[in-house]
Amino acid sequence: MEIKSTKLLYTIAMLVLGLFMILPFLWMISTSFKTPNEVFQYPIQWIPQKVTFEHHLKVWTGKESFLIYYMNSLKIALICMVGATFLSALAAYGFSRIEFKGRNLLFMFYLSMMMVPPQVLFVPKFILFDKIGIYNTHWALILPGLFTIFGVFLMRQFFMSIPQEITESAFVDGAGHFRIFFQLMLPLAKPALATLAIIDFSWHWNDYENALVFLLDRNLYTVPLGMQNFILEFNIDYNGMMAATSAGIVPMLLVFLIGQKYIIQGITGSAVKG
Amino acid sequence: MNWAKKQRRLGYLFILPNMLGVILFFVVPAIFSLGIMFTNYKYTSPDIEWIGLDNFNRLFHDPVFYVSLKKTALFLSAVPVSIGLAFLVALVLNRSVYVKSLLRAMFFMPYITSGVAVAFVWMLLFQPSQGPINSFLRSIGIDNPPGWMSTTTSSMYAIDIIWIWFLLGYNMIIYLAAFQEIPQEQLEAAKIDGASSWTTVWKIIFPLVSPSTFLLMITGLITSMKTFGMIEAVTQGGPGGSTTILSLFIYHNAFRYYEMGYASAISWVLFAIIFLITMIQWVGQKRWVHY
Repeated sequence: MEIKSTKLLYTIAMLVLGLFMILPFLWMISTSFKTPNEVFQYPIQWIPQKVTFEHHLKVWTGKESFLIYYMNSLKIALICMVGATFLSALAAYGFSRIEFKGRNLLFMFYLSMMMVPPQVLFVPKFILFDKIGIYNTHWALILPGLFTIFGVFLMRQFFMSIPQEITESAFVDGAGHFRIFFQLMLPLAKPALATLAIIDFSWHWNDYENALVFLLDRNLYTVPLGMQNFILEFNIDYNGMMAATSAGIVPMLLVFLIGQKYIIQGITGSAVKG
Repeated sequence: MNWAKKQRRLGYLFILPNMLGVILFFVVPAIFSLGIMFTNYKYTSPDIEWIGLDNFNRLFHDPVFYVSLKKTALFLSAVPVSIGLAFLVALVLNRSVYVKSLLRAMFFMPYITSGVAVAFVWMLLFQPSQGPINSFLRSIGIDNPPGWMSTTTSSMYAIDIIWIWFLLGYNMIIYLAAFQEIPQEQLEAAKIDGASSWTTVWKIIFPLVSPSTFLLMITGLITSMKTFGMIEAVTQGGPGGSTTILSLFIYHNAFRYYEMGYASAISWVLFAIIFLITMIQWVGQKRWVHY
């Protein structure tokens, strides 16, 4: 009995603490349905007396609809996700399954590039993209987004956990590396691929810095930029602000609730076993 | 062509597509940036002149630089706090609790959302005169609650609170995974020897997960050094430069004033600091990390 009561006690304590973690989200959603004079009412009205959809409508319709930002973000995030996942797996196969000269040195070099802060790269990329004419186009986000060092690292970690014998025996049976990669390794790596895909998607969906530096036209804006734009424009309208942030966050929350297992696996897999 | 040589060529072939991108978007810009930092390159003016170490000379005489270093240190202090909290939360979650996966998800949720969006939500929560946090503080008898993001003295602490909250779930997940690797025999042996739970935590669990703590410190500090979007979105580095951390200082120089040579020089100082922190921790780990 004693064990059960401590278990209950711990659960309640953690639920209270956990509630504090998600309270900002609950407040955001609740406020987005309130009327302006209810925003700062205290004690907090968690369920508004008169639920209004007016602010959400304003976010989705009107002059600068979130629909445009959504389509831009989806396009960029999906292309980058598919490309980066595949290219990472390809490189990770090379790093984990084929012996070649300088392999370890090259991999160390890859890892050391992770230490270079993005600020070092922003200025030269800005100049480069301006010169080749892709500044202020989605290409400025898509092209670099196809390549991720973290992805190679994550996939290599996973491939290392697959016994060498499996690929070696296929090799002895006469399969080439391409065949082994496509028909053996990729199917085996489905969970890891899903993990990387979800993490990569969330990066691009949430990426604000790159969009801020490389995009100028409002009709090219992605969700985080659009959100900021919307908020600065209507900065007195707190309900509209919360409707806009809800629009920006809720898709990621849904992705997380569905793909939780993969996200957590990917994060722990890349960190702890490293 | 012999077999081994063909093998090697295939290896390069698999890596090539990714490596091309890394060279084009990481290595070449990095080298380019190393060149720009010795020039007075301004995006708005066509004249580029080699000025040697002048940018560094200017930087080390720039009072804003020293303020931003101080602010960066204040910002970084959120990392160990978040790690410590995460350790405690993970300890409890690792014991028997009901609805474990729900709890895990609740703590992890902030990490998956956009820093910019949550910063806007927090901005309203922190609203000094009517915001819910200060309303609550007043209701429990604190007559002069902090001005949070609106005053130069409290703004960085407000950002720190958001950052601790944001990183907590990630840190917790890493600890939970590390706890799984602890050999049960060691914990049982401690129990038989009559060790208190306090002793077990500090003498056994904490040393055993020290590699994870080490990893969280390094990655947490590096991530924090690079972050600026969240702060730029809500405070633009203000009020009065009080939230201008080094990474934001670089961004402002590059894309607000178009001082690209100067910004490049500062960005390499940022790299040097990141490198130094990593190295110090690497050397220091021998004293407390047990593998």
